Amino acid sequence: MTRADAGDPSHHGARGVVRFLGLVVLGAVIGGLAALAAVTFVAAVLWLNDLLLVSPRGRMMFAHPEWLAVATVLVPAAGGLVVGQLHRAIPERRPHTPADVIAAVQTRRGRLPPKAGALSALSGLVSLGAGASVGQYGPLVHMGASLGSAGARLLRLGRSEDNITIACGVSAAIATAFNAPLAGIVFAHEVVLRHYALRAFAPVAAAALVGHVIATNVLARGALFHVADPALPRPWEFAAFLAIGGVGALVAGAYMRAILGVGRLARRLPVAAPWRPALAGATLGVVALWVPDILGMGQETLRFATIAGAFGSVELVVVLALKLAATALCLGMGFGGGVFSPALVIGTLFGALCGTLVATLTGAQDTFVFYAICGMVAVTAPVIGAPLTSLLIVFELTGSYALTTAALASVTLASPIAAQLFGRSLFDIQLAGRGLDLSSGRGRAVLEDARLADLMSREGVTLRPETPVDEAVVTPGGAGHGEAYVVDATGRYRASVTLADLEVMREEGRGDHPVSGCPRTPRPVLGPDASVWEAMRHLQEVTGEAIAVVDEDDVFLGVVFEATIAQAFLRYSDELRREEHGTG
Amino acid sequence: MARGKRGLGRLVLILGLALGSAGPGATRSEPVVEPLTVLSWGGAYERAQARALFAPFTEATGIPVRVARYDGGLSALRAAVAERDPPWDVLDMTRSQAMAACDEGLLEPLPADIAAPAPDGTPAEEDFIDEAFGPCSLTHSVFATVVAYRTDAFPGRRPTRIADLFDQRRFPGPRALQRTPSVNLEWALLSYGVPRQELYRLLSTRRGLSLALERLAGLEDLRWWEAGSAPPELLIQGEVVMASGYNGRFFDAMVNRDAPIAILWDGQVQEHETWAIPRHAPHPEAARAFIRFATATERQAALTRYIPYGPSRHSAARRVATHADTGLDMRLHIPTHPLNAERAVTKDEAWYARTRERIGDYFRAALFPDDATTTD
Repeated sequence: MTRADAGDPSHHGARGVVRFLGLVVLGAVIGGLAALAAVTFVAAVLWLNDLLLVSPRGRMMFAHPEWLAVATVLVPAAGGLVVGQLHRAIPERRPHTPADVIAAVQTRRGRLPPKAGALSALSGLVSLGAGASVGQYGPLVHMGASLGSAGARLLRLGRSEDNITIACGVSAAIATAFNAPLAGIVFAHEVVLRHYALRAFAPVAAAALVGHVIATNVLARGALFHVADPALPRPWEFAAFLAIGGVGALVAGAYMRAILGVGRLARRLPVAAPWRPALAGATLGVVALWVPDILGMGQETLRFATIAGAFGSVELVVVLALKLAATALCLGMGFGGGVFSPALVIGTLFGALCGTLVATLTGAQDTFVFYAICGMVAVTAPVIGAPLTSLLIVFELTGSYALTTAALASVTLASPIAAQLFGRSLFDIQLAGRGLDLSSGRGRAVLEDARLADLMSREGVTLRPETPVDEAVVTPGGAGHGEAYVVDATGRYRASVTLADLEVMREEGRGDHPVSGCPRTPRPVLGPDASVWEAMRHLQEVTGEAIAVVDEDDVFLGVVFEATIAQAFLRYSDELRREEHGTG
Repeated sequence: MARGKRGLGRLVLILGLALGSAGPGATRSEPVVEPLTVLSWGGAYERAQARALFAPFTEATGIPVRVARYDGGLSALRAAVAERDPPWDVLDMTRSQAMAACDEGLLEPLPADIAAPAPDGTPAEEDFIDEAFGPCSLTHSVFATVVAYRTDAFPGRRPTRIADLFDQRRFPGPRALQRTPSVNLEWALLSYGVPRQELYRLLSTRRGLSLALERLAGLEDLRWWEAGSAPPELLIQGEVVMASGYNGRFFDAMVNRDAPIAILWDGQVQEHETWAIPRHAPHPEAARAFIRFATATERQAALTRYIPYGPSRHSAARRVATHADTGLDMRLHIPTHPLNAERAVTKDEAWYARTRERIGDYFRAALFPDDATTTD
């Protein structure tokens, strides 16, 4: 404890303030860069959409219906081809997403790879530009995070600062893209950092502010959704909003399951990974010939879904199902892009459906937009695991307190139900699939990410199985250890023996017997890639002084002492505590 | 006004140099000066132009100005340019028409330095409003299509939102709208509460278009007008209680004829009115000189003393004062005044230039299934 309490002297007093202010300025600079990148990205997507006949405006302004149909199929397919080739240059063969950002921060690994970041941004740009049914906020968040991490690396800052600059990039990207600075700040905390520390808050807020200023001055776009003085909902309607939350959680679950399911199915397809997006693109294009609403981010569809009477109920169901399927197809088959924008569309369609049903039953037509917005947050909040962010986006974009409280009713049920049934967010589910379980918080994530290999020691005493006990009993004692590890001539680990057991054998007069005859202490062994978390779990069952580390062929690599594991645990906990509760 | 006179004098000097002549005196002494033919829109608009632009131009250069009437279409221009003998030197046309005509090669490209700098030296590119400079056209003023209503039609209430145009329950009575898709589609979709920034994106979808057409088809007692002078007449005669029309015409009816009408500025659709020169124009040099003269800050401000169109120069907008004949504060009547422009829509002319025919087909099919003669 003393170590943490004494702290680093540079974290206190005037020097601490200077360091802290430096971090805030860095946050603002990274916020500015991330915001400019976001503005450029959004503008480039719009430009591509107009050029490639994806956007309704571009399609309407194009005079030849036959060529329009051809382009509807060819453009997403060609986009898929490009995306597939881009992904070959990324080590993981897939675009990086906010899940990778979360993993980097939760495990304190930081250091997002710049090349994969740039390629993922490009893949998102091509996917969105070519009309794939994917979101733009995922790529924006990842781009902002990569810029933040690059900044920290450029200035040779530590992991803790790296995490903060990543969060700065994320918050600026959201603040700019939605023109909602509070939502940006909260998103960075709620989804990426997952803890609240003043030390991180100030730089993240500075980044969001700069993003907001840039968004209001450069990106003169209309709000994502716009609501003019809605009527006030009747008291009983709040029950309906709650119910929308419950059912919305199921829609969110279906959406997440569909994306993951198509991903699993795609791996079994007899088509190589680089060609899958093209296949998805062509399929999307063919369906879009009948239902163009499923192309691209679907902002026009989202807008119409907030207008009473713009869709019939059957139409709502059809477009909702097709949009969900199209998004699952595009993301599952390997297009780059986010999950948020399609979730907004699906949620709003779902809410509109609920609103239409309620209007049919009760005639309450004037509060239609409430249902649309409630459906929207009920589906998006569970998908991105961010109930507060979703609420703030509603608040900052509509400025309506009535709408925000209605959305609160839906989120109240949607997020916990979805978390119970499916997981905290799609990102968490994906990370759990890759072996990183974030459900027990950051403390466990850090320990799960720390590899045993770094803690391994070669000081453990090894014995040959054929060594006589008399000879063997001297070796560990001489080295100051109470146990030894039996390793055969081929270097394979055979057993752990304790000094006590060897002594007993000698007392019993079996000093000339080989060590292999000694009773074995049942002892787990771990691989070098095992996590500190796993080692901690095993410590509960182990009463010795160390755990042997072996590779997959049982070759003995070394040992990890219990004390080292305990020290590592304390060190990681201390670092986390300083990061999460420190002020400067 | 002394300052104005001096400014004008300097302008004349500049113009004289631009024309390569020795100034107004020299021009005047020449025996025959061929008149400059300007194609304009007639009515109160043309009268205002005559007082603020044409007469001063003749006074300054000695070149008489002859005015021809414009019907709004491109067919006459197309035919005249094909003959290589257009009878006009300068065209006063909407920017969307100018863009379409420019694309077809019917217009002379304008030199980049056609406009004079502001009196305080601000370069023209900074002084003009955004997108005023086209390859073949220069915006000289901003006019708006607005809804006007009879002030005595709805006792105790008055329309405040464009959606009220379609609300015949609260605002009963016949309406009059222009027989074109443009402006009507915009208003119809705005009435659903969509934000104006997204208007044309949403109108580009099948869903948006059909929602707008449905709203228009739902209007009862609807009169369609074609000539710009019709809507004030219909309102004055009490044949309709709400009508769409050009803000200048309504102003003229209110001021000069004491018509009991008021303008609903919400949802006004702004358009740029431009000067252009037809290809093979008989006097291109004089035409360019005229455009430079007519778009000078001084002249733009002068025009707003006769007709309430928003000047395309910031320096001119700051000089908007009172009506020349009645002393009315003109700032309240020009479409670009901040109070009036709060929820203005700028017509997306690029969109119309590319979609005009298809949108026209949809419009006719939905609202005039029996005939196909609607012009746009």
